[in-house]
Amino acid sequence: MSLLLQYVANGLAAGSLYALVALGVVLLYRSSRVLNFAHGDLATLGVFVAFTALARGWPYPVALGAGLVGTALVSAAFYRLLIKPVRQATALSLVITTLGFALLLSGLMVWIWGTDTKVFPFPLSEVRVYRLGGVVVSELSAGSLAVGLLLVAALSLVVQKTRLGLAMRAVAQNPVAAQLLGVPAGRVLAATWAVAGGLGAAAGMLLAPAVLLDPFMMLDPFLKGFAAAVLGGMDSLPGAVLGGVVLGVAESVFAGYVSVKYKATLAFVVIVAVLLAKPEGLLGRPFHRRV
Amino acid sequence: MHRVLGLCLVVLLALPFATTAQERGVTAEEVVVGSSMPLSGPAAYWGAVGRAMEAYARYLNDQGGVHGRRLRVVLRDDGYLPPRAAANVRELVERVGVFAIVGLIGTANAFAVRDYIVRNEVVWITPTADASMWYGFRDKKYLFVTYPSYVEEAKILVDYAAKQLGVRTVAVFYQNDLYGQKGLLGAKQGAVRSRVRIVAQVPYEVTQADVSSEAVKLRESRAEAVLLYATPRHGALIVREMAKVGYTPKLLSSFTLGDPIMFALAGEAWNGVISTAFFPLPGMGDSKVDEALAVLTRVDPALRTNPYNALAGWAFMEPFVEGLRRAGRDLTKERFVQAMETIRNWDGQVIRGVTFGPDRRQGIHRVYLTRAEGGRYTKLTDWISYPTGF
Amino acid sequence: MVELRTSYAQDLRLVSGWTGWAGLVFLLAGLVLLPLVAPRYVVYVATLAAVHSLVAVGLNLLVGYTGQISLGHAGFFAVGAYTHGLVLTRLGWGFWPALLAAAVTSAAAGFLVGLPALRLSGPYLAIATLAFGLATHQVLVNWEALSGGRSGLFLPEVRLAGASLKDERVLYWLVVAVTCLLVLAAVRLLRSYVGRAFVAVRDSDVAAELSGVNLTRYKTLAFALSALYTGVAGALMGHVVGFLEPQLFTLFESVYFFSMVVVGGLASVSGSILGAVLLTLLPQLLSGMGEALNVLYGAAVILVLRFEPGGLAARWLRVQRYWRSWPL
Repeated sequence: MSLLLQYVANGLAAGSLYALVALGVVLLYRSSRVLNFAHGDLATLGVFVAFTALARGWPYPVALGAGLVGTALVSAAFYRLLIKPVRQATALSLVITTLGFALLLSGLMVWIWGTDTKVFPFPLSEVRVYRLGGVVVSELSAGSLAVGLLLVAALSLVVQKTRLGLAMRAVAQNPVAAQLLGVPAGRVLAATWAVAGGLGAAAGMLLAPAVLLDPFMMLDPFLKGFAAAVLGGMDSLPGAVLGGVVLGVAESVFAGYVSVKYKATLAFVVIVAVLLAKPEGLLGRPFHRRV
Repeated sequence: MHRVLGLCLVVLLALPFATTAQERGVTAEEVVVGSSMPLSGPAAYWGAVGRAMEAYARYLNDQGGVHGRRLRVVLRDDGYLPPRAAANVRELVERVGVFAIVGLIGTANAFAVRDYIVRNEVVWITPTADASMWYGFRDKKYLFVTYPSYVEEAKILVDYAAKQLGVRTVAVFYQNDLYGQKGLLGAKQGAVRSRVRIVAQVPYEVTQADVSSEAVKLRESRAEAVLLYATPRHGALIVREMAKVGYTPKLLSSFTLGDPIMFALAGEAWNGVISTAFFPLPGMGDSKVDEALAVLTRVDPALRTNPYNALAGWAFMEPFVEGLRRAGRDLTKERFVQAMETIRNWDGQVIRGVTFGPDRRQGIHRVYLTRAEGGRYTKLTDWISYPTGF
Repeated sequence: MVELRTSYAQDLRLVSGWTGWAGLVFLLAGLVLLPLVAPRYVVYVATLAAVHSLVAVGLNLLVGYTGQISLGHAGFFAVGAYTHGLVLTRLGWGFWPALLAAAVTSAAAGFLVGLPALRLSGPYLAIATLAFGLATHQVLVNWEALSGGRSGLFLPEVRLAGASLKDERVLYWLVVAVTCLLVLAAVRLLRSYVGRAFVAVRDSDVAAELSGVNLTRYKTLAFALSALYTGVAGALMGHVVGFLEPQLFTLFESVYFFSMVVVGGLASVSGSILGAVLLTLLPQLLSGMGEALNVLYGAAVILVLRFEPGGLAARWLRVQRYWRSWPL
């Protein structure tokens, strides 16, 4: 029994990170109808910025903050310069633009920081563990879960209770109508992209101490985050969280009891199954196209 | 539309054509060697081998070169992809005109270029691929390999664990590609020979970031020892995860994890790991190797972050340079081959105990074991030989 | 001088006027004679470019002309390659039957992937095809009995009419011949009612359906055809490299194919070829640049989309029009 709980605990820790990534993906999809394939690389960029800041001796809060802010700015700039100006943007060209940006970013990161694996210092330790019954949870995993919950709570607070959140929801629903009512859609969308970037960077910073930092560390978690977003529903923020947690736990239990080899395949099978059976995901609303 | 396509043709033909010299790659002033490496992309960490080759060549040239000829190393980037490696090798041979291809990283890449190199009788020095790929392969006249066999080293590690550590059960954590699979094969063969049981075989993918389930699986196997065939990153990850879940078996690893970066990545969890090595490591009291490392980092300071692969690059080039020396000023492929075949139990500055012969192309057939302690690798055993296969 | 067409037959004709024919003859002669004048590594790169062109044209059929998205084309590439390889080695069939098997299997795979595509569009389709590509890679890696796993699947030496495919020149001629035939078929297809149906689906599938275009049939046909082209290219790729390994069929390949089509120009066959040739040559020419290559790639894709969404083909068209109407 404790073995099962251990797998579930591992899954929750991984799932909280998938949830953070998924939140960023869903946030952008809801507002701009863009699938941002550069999300993972943006997150990694933020971690590298924080890494450099830490190496220069900056204190933790400042360095991590710099990483978050850096990613937010780059993300917003990307939106402003490359997404917004393209008038007749089709879904296809947007996807490709983000793919190109992802390639550009990963090339840049290797160029500047090199490909050797680095240790990312972090206030929470990966090695110090708490034992609850037979289950081992590292300080970092517990911290990731806590931070993840905090960020989700903060985000839902912003989206539901603040004026910015109201504006974001308005722009997501109908950009033209929102603009007619005086909402500065461009600025709101840039802010949305910045927030999404920040969320990604946060996920990256929680991941890096555990998996060691290198330019490609977010590749796998990013795809899993995507799967989680699909599972939960591409236009539902709570769905992203649910999807992340469910995927994390399912993956961990599957690897433990069924097959370690096919652990990675599970995420993709999930995507395919969800898209075939219920494309809008667990908590999403069915997608209706206006003709 | 035809104009567009015609344009394509013109572009293609614009690629400059081949130049031929007396002996390809040899002029009065220089000898040209080429290599295809991952200089970009996820495997770019290994590209340090190529940069070290360049640095070594520069060092040699500063000392006057070999028989009055400068050594020029031409590197091409293949991003660890076989089609690009194949294109690079063809370009190096036909356009650049190299005397030899030295190193070439990746077993899959080696397979992709093998036929072409053999057909064109190109001298090929030490592709970094498992040595057993050459067993039974004909047409090895121009091939000279000084690289260990993953299979044999795994057998040696398992044997040591059984005899010296009293281990009866072993689990294998391996990368799911040719490198890791060869290690697993060696472990299985060694298990039979040394009478231990392989109780778990846990693979992982290079793109994986999370190995917590794998660590739990290993713990559940209750193996007394775990054999690691992984990249430095994943080696460090699994060792940390295992420590986290409270599993502390004896740890054995392939020589690829004999990289001092492991101490930084894995921290204290790396102490006590037993690895193999095929050349003396810096800091073990061998002044020649220490000097070689100092030279490399002086010529190319960027190599400071990757000393292990840098020394490997030197180790690969050394026998080739010795062959050039023995062949004399009048350098042709045939004379080079004859010269290499005279090398018997030769010690270079980094590589040791190289032997070639008319029927022997496997230059080294021994490794020794090291133990990680206090942030350094210390010598655990003397050289252990294994049978040669080609 | 604008070309005026006075009959439907004239509109359908692929080659018109003596400049058209001269250009075609020059092109064909150049293609045939290349291996005889160029060094073998140029021939090798040209063969690689031809294989990539075939994929790009196939992908363009789906993406540029029918307006669907596919981020998993490496999956079809793999299906064709491994079918061909397995049929050659395990069943011992000859080259042409094996190639046919690869074509049929890929088309079937395309059809199957196309079925869910009927219900999905836009980003959902992108994700579904992405998942297909990644899942195929996973299966190849893990199902060793089928694919030879990471040890690879080696292709035997094939002899056609006495000439061995291990000779770069023979392989080049074969690949270029197959590519030319398939590209010709694609061009003819696109000028027929099928092509018009594809474009109708792209521009507005609802309106197309109202006008009598059977969406099910044409969407799945687009997927199947696209997969067929890509699968045949995959089979040929096996001979170019000499063996098959899952590493050749990753997400990176899918993105790479995509970039070729986008940079060359969506909905333009010659654009796809141009894009494929360019993006095959670039890594070879810029080999010394290391990581800067990826940066360049990414920047190229972004810039093309930002400033010339129609790709290089559109830019070329603009250049042509400028000169045609010069000095106005």
